[in-house]
Amino acid sequence: MNEHKIKLLYIDDEEHNLHSFKATFRKQYEIYTTVSVIEAEQLLDTHVIHVVLADQRMPVMTGVQFFEKIRDKFPDVIRILITGHTDISAAIDAINKGEVFRFIDKPWDYKYVQNAITHGYEIYRTKEELRQRNIELEKANEELDKFVYSASHDLRAPLMSILGIVNLALIDDDLSSQNEYLELIRQSVKKLDTFVINIIDYYKNARGVPVISEIHFDELVTDVLATIQYLPEREKVVINTHIEQDKVFYSDAMKLRIIFNNLINNAIKFQDDKKADKKVNLTVTCTAQQVQIKIEDNGIGISEDDRINIFKMFYRAGAIKSGSGIGLYIVQEAVNKLGGEIDTTSVIGKGSIFNVLIPSINNAQP
Amino acid sequence: MKIATHFILIDDSSFDLFIYEKLLLKSGMALSVQKYFSAKEAFNWIKNNAENMPESVILLDLQMPDMNGFEFVDEYSGLPAETKEKIDIFMLSSTIDNRDIERVKSNPYILDLLSKPLDIEMLHTNLLRLKK
Repeated sequence: MNEHKIKLLYIDDEEHNLHSFKATFRKQYEIYTTVSVIEAEQLLDTHVIHVVLADQRMPVMTGVQFFEKIRDKFPDVIRILITGHTDISAAIDAINKGEVFRFIDKPWDYKYVQNAITHGYEIYRTKEELRQRNIELEKANEELDKFVYSASHDLRAPLMSILGIVNLALIDDDLSSQNEYLELIRQSVKKLDTFVINIIDYYKNARGVPVISEIHFDELVTDVLATIQYLPEREKVVINTHIEQDKVFYSDAMKLRIIFNNLINNAIKFQDDKKADKKVNLTVTCTAQQVQIKIEDNGIGISEDDRINIFKMFYRAGAIKSGSGIGLYIVQEAVNKLGGEIDTTSVIGKGSIFNVLIPSINNAQP
Repeated sequence: MKIATHFILIDDSSFDLFIYEKLLLKSGMALSVQKYFSAKEAFNWIKNNAENMPESVILLDLQMPDMNGFEFVDEYSGLPAETKEKIDIFMLSSTIDNRDIERVKSNPYILDLLSKPLDIEMLHTNLLRLKK
């Protein structure tokens, strides 16, 4: 509760003013008081203070001089000047030099003081939020920049490959190689298409409004497996599914689909060509509170260096089979958005296990 | 005058390696073509065969996993001067990013940035200019 109290600092050379102020407002605010401007500055250094009130008439320096002094060092703190008598030149100085937020006349009016503090604090909070938004925006811009850079590469590279193949096909008089060129073009187009689909998934995931519905994992998995049945590597791999669900589970089907789709795709894609019994085991254990998804393959495995990095945007492990490096990034984002966790264990040459834990959404709401 | 030299291709795309090998061999410019999926592997080969390798032209892709084109050139810069004298590096990339282009221009070890798909005439002109 204390965390949400407005924190005040009140400086006045007359100690009884400090006492009576504290007595009046101590229940509402967290109040620091001092008779010394030096101590006041130390308090500002060591504590988070939202609003500073200072008496104008003090022996070492005036309230305005104090404000002028602390203005640059603590620009966010809201400054309120307390004056015993109206002095126009002090008022002008207060506005121009001390940049004060309000004047309070002595003797003060309870409501007026409370009002000034409330409004001052609102300004403080607004500035704070603005700064927070700015930091978030800068981060988003940076990500966007990186995204555009890598996306432009991944969009252009397959196109330039196709153009290269076409150029080559045009100067090749041997008609029997034309089919080979067409096959290369087909693969390049496929690669580009996969990337476009990934980008769309990414945006649906990042910007889309979550739609919470009842999830039936057997249906979801059947759906996902149906979409990947045409993968060239698919027919060589045996997929065992084991799904346990007897309770109702709520989540965002779109995000779950992204998770299943990418993880199963990877498990199929990164198989070991040397092994005869290529297999993927998919286990889903669902309770009313959470679902545990385990996707296990006996493929080529992931090195420790790669394992740490595979969830980063555009990180590609291994040169030959890797895609654009966005799939697992999207998985991670989806898992985060669902409030879940994902971890990976892998042994090179033996295979990899991806474990995903996701809470049911209805559970989060009391 | 017609160029005839040895080529080393470094690219993570098997399509591009295939295309450029064919193009170079067809053009008659290539005495031999070596292909590398990984910049690290290519670097190790050069390091281990520096003494016996013939004068070669490297066509280097920019964006590759593990070691990218710039990282390759960083490693390359540490090789002995005699080795570097035998090698000319061109960067071959689909990038249109200005920062990349500036970086290539300012790099003393990269002769030029050629855009994908490789224009064989342009490469020929570039190499002729080098030999003069």
